[in-house]
Amino acid sequence: MKDVRNASRIGRLQFLSDEQKRDIYLAALEIAGSIGMKVYHEEARRLLADAGAEVDGELVKMPRYLIEQARQSVPAVALIYDREGELAMELGGYNSYFGTGSDLMHTYDLETRERRDSVLEDVARAARLCDALPHMDFIMSSAHPTDVNPHHSYLLSFREMMRNSTKPLVMTAENAKDLRVMVEVATELRGGEEQLRQKPYFVVYNEPISPLEHPVESVEKLFLCADTGVPSIYSPAPLAGATAPITIAGHTAQGVAESLFGLVMHQLRRPGAPFLFGIGAAVLDMVTAQSSYNAPEYYQTYMCMVDMARWLDIPNWGYGGTSDSQLLDAQAGMEIAQLTFMAMMQGSNLNHDVGYLDFGLTGSLEEIVVVDEFVGMNRKLFQGVDVDRETMTVDTVREVGPGGHYMTTEHTYRHLRSAQWRPTVLNRYGYEKWEAEGSKDLREKAGDKARKLLAEHEPSALPENLSRVLDEKVNRFTDRVA
Amino acid sequence: MAFDKLIELVQVGDGQQVAAEVQKQLDAGNSAPTILNDGLIAAMDIVGEKMESEEMFIPEVLRSAKAMEQGLAVMKDELALDDVQASGKVVIGTVKGDLHDIGKNLVSMLLSSAGFEVIDAGINVAPDAFVAKVEETGANFLAMSALLTTTMPMMKQTIAELEQRGLRDRVKVIIGGAPVNQGYADELGADGYASDAGAAIKLAKSLRA
Ligand code: B12
Repeated sequence: MKDVRNASRIGRLQFLSDEQKRDIYLAALEIAGSIGMKVYHEEARRLLADAGAEVDGELVKMPRYLIEQARQSVPAVALIYDREGELAMELGGYNSYFGTGSDLMHTYDLETRERRDSVLEDVARAARLCDALPHMDFIMSSAHPTDVNPHHSYLLSFREMMRNSTKPLVMTAENAKDLRVMVEVATELRGGEEQLRQKPYFVVYNEPISPLEHPVESVEKLFLCADTGVPSIYSPAPLAGATAPITIAGHTAQGVAESLFGLVMHQLRRPGAPFLFGIGAAVLDMVTAQSSYNAPEYYQTYMCMVDMARWLDIPNWGYGGTSDSQLLDAQAGMEIAQLTFMAMMQGSNLNHDVGYLDFGLTGSLEEIVVVDEFVGMNRKLFQGVDVDRETMTVDTVREVGPGGHYMTTEHTYRHLRSAQWRPTVLNRYGYEKWEAEGSKDLREKAGDKARKLLAEHEPSALPENLSRVLDEKVNRFTDRVA
Repeated sequence: MAFDKLIELVQVGDGQQVAAEVQKQLDAGNSAPTILNDGLIAAMDIVGEKMESEEMFIPEVLRSAKAMEQGLAVMKDELALDDVQASGKVVIGTVKGDLHDIGKNLVSMLLSSAGFEVIDAGINVAPDAFVAKVEETGANFLAMSALLTTTMPMMKQTIAELEQRGLRDRVKVIIGGAPVNQGYADELGADGYASDAGAAIKLAKSLRA
């Protein structure tokens, strides 16, 4: 496991004061309790009514105590294990992990550098690349294959991800039917339902619809997760100014209410099941009608959401390594750096969408490489600073004395390999050397690295019996569903 | 110009004052069609241009459209409103299986602000439901939105359904949504595709003409 548990060693960014957090929480309770939300899933409505919610047709008003009760039963930490059963992520507290996003319709081809429709092979490639990259902690599909039956796409992507990496997954699914097949495969992988509950292999990304609606499919998937112990994200994507208030506090309060509403349904279904809180803080650009992932208002609501998650002590779903730009240019560099740094500074837990361009429509493997490098560089930063006799090393300073140098002291040798972080694609060449190496910019160097890793990296193979089970289950589904 | 003030008020989006100004123009002896064409519609043309040039924000455009409607309401007896709008009656919706509606709603609001009569069928609209709506309302436009590759094929099914019921020639089919493109529109035999709300309005206007 990449150990990122250094929370106590560094200062953290705070966007909201404790009083402001309480105010937003109270506003969320008011939204859930006095306005209520539409729940289209019948069984969920019955469950809520039995627990004491006020149900009128499809409209459900949530009394405060149900939310308080759910906050008591939801675990503060969710442990996620990789394909081999090793602990991979401890979600909660200030631990930050990063991975790709899902379902990009277009992909920048590594060879031609042109944008084209995504194909299933892109899912496999992204998974294999992330398997090789040290700072990509989990894997989503990245691409949404356009060369297969769309109703098979999530499951076929799942197969490619599982085959091409041992890292844990975050899955999207069309509905409970394809999701169930994924859960069955994971159950086989772990050797039983109880074992899967102990060691979840993937997390599921579920969403309500802003404002204030909970569709049947979302709740079905949420319940399936609760039943099987597969951790569920329940994160709305309210667009500020369109499906949520345009102001940061209103955007946050509505999002908090929607996510917590899901938490109640989830915890009523099975108390103690692992859950991730979140808000996709998208902002509607009022001129271009694009949903920005990098507007400063986006960062603000995102950071308020993380503040709320830490205050509620529930693990959170977050974002990182994403740009609105159309290609991996200076804008992209600026945006992915700012978003990713803020996620780490705030201790946002499970951060996805690494490699996104074009408002979540186009993917870039080069960008994934660049973000991996950026996360690595900042993990060094977030280790904090050791201050002791050895690191202050006054004795070495005495030994070297005025006018001396440190290049060959014992102390330098002792720390040479560990004290400094080394880039792999960021430039540290002087002009002549850089020119001799082909005058490459970051995108070219990241492309070179991605191509090399894809050519050389062999992910550990799926055991024979499992591979067979996976194929059988996927084929049975694709035969059945037209 | 006689309508300078009216044009200004529509742009500012003050519906009450637009209504009052329209009344004043009627009292001054201007005919309703003249006020409509040289006042209200002229104002909305400017609003459209300002939206294109990024001077006006979408919510401001919507406010102007609402103000224009308030002005129209004053003249509803003078104008046979049905005649004005008969040139464009649109059934719009998001296709079956798809719950994304922000883009659809924007297109819908801007179409009505451009003078189309819009019937919003909502989200998750099945092919037969689309066709039933077209039949029931006598619409001459069908606008479909899809944001998911899993739901795009519903557009094809809806067009097939239209053909089956012999309605295909009566309606212009326009489509949009993030995964949709011109190539897909051509493949389906749709009458048009637009990548954003502004382009959607231009497209609908050009097809109406
Ligand atoms: C907001 C959002 C949601 C919200 C929707 C809320 C709502 N009320 O609509 C929620 C959270 C519910 C959601 C759910 C899902 N989403 Co979503 N979502 C988005 C997001 C981020 C923005 C869409 C948006 O509203 N944009 C702003 C509007 C204004 O733009 P627009 O819709 O494109 O519309 C403009 C044009 O396309 C055009 N237009 C639109 N319609 C029409 C119609 C006509 C006739 C014309 C002419 C023009 C036209 O004009 C509009 C105005 O300019 C997109 C990413 C993206 N950038 O598109 C993903 C995205 C569309 N979603 C995606 C996915 C996968 C899902 C889910 C399946 C996720 C899941 N596993 O649960 C579910 C599906 C739910 C369902 N059954 O529909 C994928 C689709 C991938 C694919 N290839 O299919 C995307 C691309 C994100 C991604 N890469 O993962 N989503």
